[in-house]
Amino acid sequence: MKNMLITRKTKSRLSSFIFPIVLLLLWQFISSAGYASSAVVPSPKKVLNTFQILFTQQTFFLNITASLERVMIGFLIGSLTGFLFGLLMGLSRTAEIIFAPSFHTVRQVPMIGWIPLIVMWFGMTELPRILIISIAAFYPITLNTFAGVRSVPREYLELASVYGYKRFKLIRRIILPAALPSIITGLTLSLGMSWAILMAAEIFIQTEFGIGTQIQMGRQRFNMPLVVTGILTVGLLGFVMTMMIEKLARIVDRGRAIGNEN
Amino acid sequence: MTVEKGTLEIKNLSKSFIVDNNPLLVLNNINIKFPACAFISIIGGSGCGKTTLLRIMLGLDTSYDGEALMDGERIVGPGSNRGIVFQDHRLLPWLTVGENVAFGLDRLNRKEKKLLVDENLKLVGLSGFESAYPSQLSGGMAQRVAIARALANKPEILLLDEPLGALDALTRIHMQKELERLWLLEKITMIMVTHDVDEAIYLSDKVVIMSSRPGVIKKIIDIPSSRSRDRASSEFMQIKAEILKEFHLGTEYPFAYAI
Repeated sequence: MKNMLITRKTKSRLSSFIFPIVLLLLWQFISSAGYASSAVVPSPKKVLNTFQILFTQQTFFLNITASLERVMIGFLIGSLTGFLFGLLMGLSRTAEIIFAPSFHTVRQVPMIGWIPLIVMWFGMTELPRILIISIAAFYPITLNTFAGVRSVPREYLELASVYGYKRFKLIRRIILPAALPSIITGLTLSLGMSWAILMAAEIFIQTEFGIGTQIQMGRQRFNMPLVVTGILTVGLLGFVMTMMIEKLARIVDRGRAIGNEN
Repeated sequence: MTVEKGTLEIKNLSKSFIVDNNPLLVLNNINIKFPACAFISIIGGSGCGKTTLLRIMLGLDTSYDGEALMDGERIVGPGSNRGIVFQDHRLLPWLTVGENVAFGLDRLNRKEKKLLVDENLKLVGLSGFESAYPSQLSGGMAQRVAIARALANKPEILLLDEPLGALDALTRIHMQKELERLWLLEKITMIMVTHDVDEAIYLSDKVVIMSSRPGVIKKIIDIPSSRSRDRASSEFMQIKAEILKEFHLGTEYPFAYAI
């Protein structure tokens, strides 16, 4: 029984590779059949070579660490404040009435729209880049925390009041655990948003190091392999981060994760 | 006046809800005395206010006319002297079975908690399951854990809100025996709301029949026979007929239940 489970798991893992391989073959086909100039569509081999060269250069790693650091700081600030704000609006109807309309109005402004304003306030420094990322992270976690807190089953609240759970104990022991799946969804989305807006932050607010800087540099020098490697790096790192957060979610939320296995 | 522990008394109790700005009477002049250590069932159709009555006894609802007295004192809120088992087991999915049983035991230290958890899980026949999660249990097992959670607080009165309503027929009969065993063992008052006439007769010393809109007590029937009741005995059938008659099901009885 256990063996069967493992093979089924491995099988579905292997299936996940089919589509990327198909894409890779298609890419190879397009570039080798000569449908597009190699300057516009570099061959997979060329891109791989560029990766090999990049791995020997310190700049590449400085770019990656600069981007990761930026995202982490922005994400932490944005998701922490968003979580607290969502929690406040979820717990208190008064807070919702006061803040929700403004929140939903401000939320309509596309992230890129903030860049000119923030740059004019703070200049072309690290602060506006991090601020933009924080704003991007702020919305999803706020919305999902709010929704999670509001959808705690009435039955659990009733049970808690039978056992005299109040205030902090109620929040810590009932509301937060019940809202946890929703909060984790919010965190995942926030991280995705931060990572997505990172490129804009690095390209529009120029900086010495960052994956966005690499892509921008590639564009300016018409070095397509540099652009493509940059894009692939962003995609792969984003994927790894999402996997990590999902893994973390399963560890934190053990009881429900076990229920979902079957 | 001293009252024996585990006594609950409802005196001249009426309760209305406001629906579309109009008061709607849900309970009208209810008077019942639940003696200590008795097993009493409340039976009635939907909308007879039995769940409201249970919420009042639990202390979740305190706005009503009349009196609800626990051990002679007015009920002002939930208390550890009253436990509750809901129809849905209401175990928290993020806690293990053991943690769920310890849900109301925060005032105790770790060692005392573990002792009570072990003791009560053993009582409901689930020793060794303390680190399982509710999602890994069957419906009957989950309800046993819910009972253990309620009993761990050592209540004087256990309120049961259709506790076996969500279980399949065979598990249900088995759990009825279990409830009887626990009641005999723990010697506490049990008040059960149910839809199931057989279940009420099988378990109770007294069956309170309520009728709907507004909820009033129609009749209280004493079940005289001794314990380990035979569901097929003529006495059992007679009581059942008497109860069903109150719901105007008397004439249908021979056809519906004789097969």
